Amino acid sequence: MSELLGIRGLRTTFPTRHGLVRAVDGVDLDVRPGECLGVVGESGSGKSVTFLSVLGLVRPPGRVEAEAITFLGRNLLSLAPTEIRAIRGRDIAVTMQDALTALNPAFTVETQIVETIEAHEPGIAKGEARARAIEMLRLVGIPDAERRLAAYPHQFSGGMRQRVMVAIALACRPKLLIADEPTTALDVTIQSQVLDLIDDMRSELGMSVVLITHDLGIVAERCDRVAVMYAGQVVETGPTAEVVASPIHPYTQGLLRSMPSLAHLDAPLVPIDGTVPDPTRLSDGCRFLPRCPHAVEACARPIALHAVSPDRAARCVLVEVAQ
Amino acid sequence: MSPLRLAERLLQLIPVLLGISVIVFAMMALTPGDPVQIMLGDSLADQAQRDSLRRDMGLDLPVVERFFRFLGNALTGNFGLSFFHRRPVMDVILERLPATIELTLVAMLIAIAVAVPLGVIAAVKRNSLLDRIATVGSMLGVSMPGFWFGILLILLFAVNLHILPVSGRIGFGYEVKMATGFVLIDTLMAGRLDSFLDALRHMLLPAVTLGLAMSALLMRVTRTSMLEALSQDYVTFAEAKGLSRLRVVGRHALKNALIPTVTVAAIETGSLLGGNMIIETVFGWPGLGRLVVEAIFSRNYPLVQAAVLIYATTYVLLNFLADLLYTVLNPKVRL
Repeated sequence: MSELLGIRGLRTTFPTRHGLVRAVDGVDLDVRPGECLGVVGESGSGKSVTFLSVLGLVRPPGRVEAEAITFLGRNLLSLAPTEIRAIRGRDIAVTMQDALTALNPAFTVETQIVETIEAHEPGIAKGEARARAIEMLRLVGIPDAERRLAAYPHQFSGGMRQRVMVAIALACRPKLLIADEPTTALDVTIQSQVLDLIDDMRSELGMSVVLITHDLGIVAERCDRVAVMYAGQVVETGPTAEVVASPIHPYTQGLLRSMPSLAHLDAPLVPIDGTVPDPTRLSDGCRFLPRCPHAVEACARPIALHAVSPDRAARCVLVEVAQ
Repeated sequence: MSPLRLAERLLQLIPVLLGISVIVFAMMALTPGDPVQIMLGDSLADQAQRDSLRRDMGLDLPVVERFFRFLGNALTGNFGLSFFHRRPVMDVILERLPATIELTLVAMLIAIAVAVPLGVIAAVKRNSLLDRIATVGSMLGVSMPGFWFGILLILLFAVNLHILPVSGRIGFGYEVKMATGFVLIDTLMAGRLDSFLDALRHMLLPAVTLGLAMSALLMRVTRTSMLEALSQDYVTFAEAKGLSRLRVVGRHALKNALIPTVTVAAIETGSLLGGNMIIETVFGWPGLGRLVVEAIFSRNYPLVQAAVLIYATTYVLLNFLADLLYTVLNPKVRL
């Protein structure tokens, strides 16, 4: 088994007044050791919920079902709450979109790093945990780390706060970091700094990274492989270079066409017509059907994710036909 | 908060307190009826004696001058003589004040001890049976009149079950020398555990009655702010760090949820202090509340005046304290 994390048939649903929202609907994904997997999609496509589901962080009344979620060969679904808690933060860490809301405003940075270390290494000496906290802050490039330990989150700038969150996430040297929109809340100039930091940490700690983003540009630049999500499903996966060079799924093609390119500044941007489907009224067929320029009759029936090559797959009738 | 900022905040209290004293003074000055007439009653004093008393009390002076005299005296704690006791008003009040403060604090402790855990559990187990019971209970607690609930408690625990005393602050056989005026502390200081327990038994019913309405309100506030905190990103992030549920709920969510709770509690303590006249009367509690009720019935104006001023000042100071606590709990706010 080569993958670090394997997700099979993940379904996450939320009952609402307007009906059942199928936020994640049959997602299969693999994260390999040491790789950076980009997960791209619009807001509401199920990117974040997929990984919250993996960690058991979906709140009731949300429901998570899956054929299997394996991490290092263990099925996370069969673990007791204390066992999954031991994995969170230690083996699989998370950073969230906005550090301002993800860090607790009522506690100092020291408390928030040290408590993570203490949760996973019970009995660690207070001084040692503190030293580790300082080391982590230095590692993520926070100047004057020792003094800044006593500061509250609101006393940091946006970029520094994001670094603090990364420091907390990496405090226990996880094997997998799930970075959920790590740059969305940041200025463009600081975005690349934070992404560089995550890259550096990845090679330094030898961990895998799942980079959740709606920015295909970031994925193209930073990720080994990419998974494109649309309306709760993975519609295309493959090595980033290949997917960007020759997208198979019409949605991926549309995404790439709607992206500005520095090389062709005068090329017009082509938006994808139509809107994302209502999550309470998803059809069983292809969810991109109403917006797809290549739609045929067969698109209305359920479509599976088809392997195109050993490393690539797409959820599209066109692939089926080609085979 | 810096000492300078603290001083500034304290200075801001002065106009408020001044305003209160104007109102209190006006209340007395505008009350119909002649204080001299009230003091002398139907006695056989002649007009000369009445005029002399009027002069002694400064009632012949212009109203503005009388106000400044009143203010000056009030600042030194001199509120004149209590008509009824024939002693300085302040002495009489200070004698009764500790009983009221003690009752209020114990009631507050009971309220917090009940409200915060219940509010937290109700929020964590939202829409569960327990949450519903707590919600209905708090509605009952808020809407049930204190005097009625107090009488019910007396009927049950004192009259029918005979396990708690009907009224008073301490039994006759248990009285100890007062040092602080707080009977729970004085009995302990005197090393009299039996007296302490007796005082505690006397304290229980009035404190529970007083604390009930407060705990109902505090529970609602705790539940609401806890629900708000639990839905925040920092709670998800804390869980993603692998912290125990207890730490996530009890530290990360609760510390943020307590900010409104503590503020409401501090402000409500002020209204408890003022609002326990009825409870003290029902339970024969020898505190300021009962003293004021008696003073009102006997038209003991100087005492009422002093008590109102004390209540209002306490209320203002407690609000100030609430602001202070707010900054302690919420690092984002610096006064």
